[in-house]
Amino acid sequence: MTGKLVVNLHKLARFTNIAIPLLTGLFFLAGLRISFYFHFITVAFIFLTALNAFYRFGQKGHSLLRNFGILGQGRYILESIGPELRQYLFLNDTEERPFNRNERSEVYRKAQDINSASSFGSQKNFDSTEVKVRHALFPIRKKDLKPSNVTFGEERGCPNPYTLKRPFIISAMSFGALGERAVRTFARGAKQAGILMNTGEGGYPKYHLEEGCDLIFQMGTAKFGVRDDEGRLDDQKLRDLVANDSIKMVEIKFSQGAKPGKGGLLPKEKITDEISALRGVRKGEDVVSPPSHAECVDIESAVSFISHVQEVSQLPVGIKLCMGISSEFRGLVSEMKRQNAFPDWITIDGSEGGSGAAPKSFMDRVGIPLFPGLKRANNILTELGVRNRLKIVASGKLVGPGRQMIALCLGADVICSARGYMLAAGCIQAMQCGSNTCPIGITTHDPDLQRGLDIDLKATRIKNYVDNLEHDIEELLCSTGCRSISELSFDHLYVPKDSTLHAYVTKPN
Amino acid sequence: MNNLGSKITSWIAQLVAIAIMGQTLYFKFSGAEESTRLFAELGMEPEGRLIIGILELVACILLIIPSSITFGAMLGSALMTGAIIGHFTQLGWEGERFQLGMLAVVVLVACSIILYTRRYTIPLLGAALQGRENQ
Repeated sequence: MTGKLVVNLHKLARFTNIAIPLLTGLFFLAGLRISFYFHFITVAFIFLTALNAFYRFGQKGHSLLRNFGILGQGRYILESIGPELRQYLFLNDTEERPFNRNERSEVYRKAQDINSASSFGSQKNFDSTEVKVRHALFPIRKKDLKPSNVTFGEERGCPNPYTLKRPFIISAMSFGALGERAVRTFARGAKQAGILMNTGEGGYPKYHLEEGCDLIFQMGTAKFGVRDDEGRLDDQKLRDLVANDSIKMVEIKFSQGAKPGKGGLLPKEKITDEISALRGVRKGEDVVSPPSHAECVDIESAVSFISHVQEVSQLPVGIKLCMGISSEFRGLVSEMKRQNAFPDWITIDGSEGGSGAAPKSFMDRVGIPLFPGLKRANNILTELGVRNRLKIVASGKLVGPGRQMIALCLGADVICSARGYMLAAGCIQAMQCGSNTCPIGITTHDPDLQRGLDIDLKATRIKNYVDNLEHDIEELLCSTGCRSISELSFDHLYVPKDSTLHAYVTKPN
Repeated sequence: MNNLGSKITSWIAQLVAIAIMGQTLYFKFSGAEESTRLFAELGMEPEGRLIIGILELVACILLIIPSSITFGAMLGSALMTGAIIGHFTQLGWEGERFQLGMLAVVVLVACSIILYTRRYTIPLLGAALQGRENQ
């Protein structure tokens, strides 16, 4: 060691380990000879000595504590408060993941109906990766816009088509992932805003139905709520369920952005008596849905299954998937063309993740992100000449109008988001969705934590959020000179060189 | 705290600790003769008597509120360790003192039982006991 001012922590730890019992003895003597008050400190040091001895000799799990004793604990304490410190103090406004402070506060402002105008320039990195919308030389006025109605099921003459008046859907979050009050909040908000809510694969949508909003019933791979004993679709159960007026559409989940290639996952911490009853599963074990539908073993059976569900439900039926291998998707669409049987929409979910619990490797490493995935899917549908046979719903971190507009330019008809609505309801991105400890009561079943969620107030915020999103999308649309979402195209985007979408640029920018 | 058995054990121990610490509070706060004599021998009369009385009261309250039981047991065991030191060094174990000393031992044992049944909730130590990483 040179003359540098460095604290040798190992030496300090060795010193501390000897000093603690020594001081205990000294304070004991002081208590004996000087004043009994010293024994207050003696007692504290006795416990400290015991704790230190346990760390050094009694436990084996933490090598650091074995070597350094109580001093090593400092590292664990500091590390444990790290996430909070970073979020509150040290990370700048554009740094956090999955949503940085700018993105979050934009949602909060929209939800609270506060003007979100900002000054002195954007904080985005303009040079390399940011995709931009191209504006027209002569933007149009709002009164010139066409209504943004989207009718699901119109292409195949579905007996009960559904018209969505505003192009927004609250994405699939099950009762189970969400607590009861959160389900009610979202459902009430969806009703006020006049948009659709997806039930998620949580079985019979009891609380959604009580709130009476328009619903998409999601059929996951485990088919909670409509399964027979072997885990296959029970037609009669589906018929009974969709007889309910609020259920307007059915979505078959093939894969999910948070964990493509894996079934749904509900951690055991979040399985209450009610959930185990609604889903027909056991308490105390993680509920893991199978990776695929029992009925769908190849593209042929998958397409037949879609038309079977359309037949049974008599409702618009869509599928949800995260893009993986493009040739497989092309095969699936070709088979749809061959059988002349198309789902009424396809939800393209980006691998950006989602509110769901997922193994980290899947969350981080599997699936195509939304923008390239969406573009690829749209291209394949267009090339096969069937883009006009169905709608495309996009989902994957679409919480603000900027990204939503890009998705619309890439071919989406409708925007789907889960976390946007969670943020609107007050989510602080504590990232504890899977552990039943959500501090603001959205993804927890703990009544004490759910208590914080005022359903009426937060439902109004959901409505405000949708109102303001629509306002911004309309303004963006006017700036491009397009009169409706369907007129938007890839050419309305400026795609810089380092963007994942640059591979699709054919004309010079 | 996984099963009902350990929960019941903990609550019985809590009630024992609260009952013993609680009944001495009356003597401490009212300045009963025996109590003042004890603290006079320790050279802590009257501030020490009141300070320890207040700390015991706090321990009793913490032991009742479900979310703070572990902290109550920690405070209780610290106070009783102090009391036992007092008996060994200055007060002695003769006659009535033996009874008082044994009561302190009983409370210390009760607090230890509470801490054992709730060991995973002890700050710092709990995580190491569970052998978890990064706590």
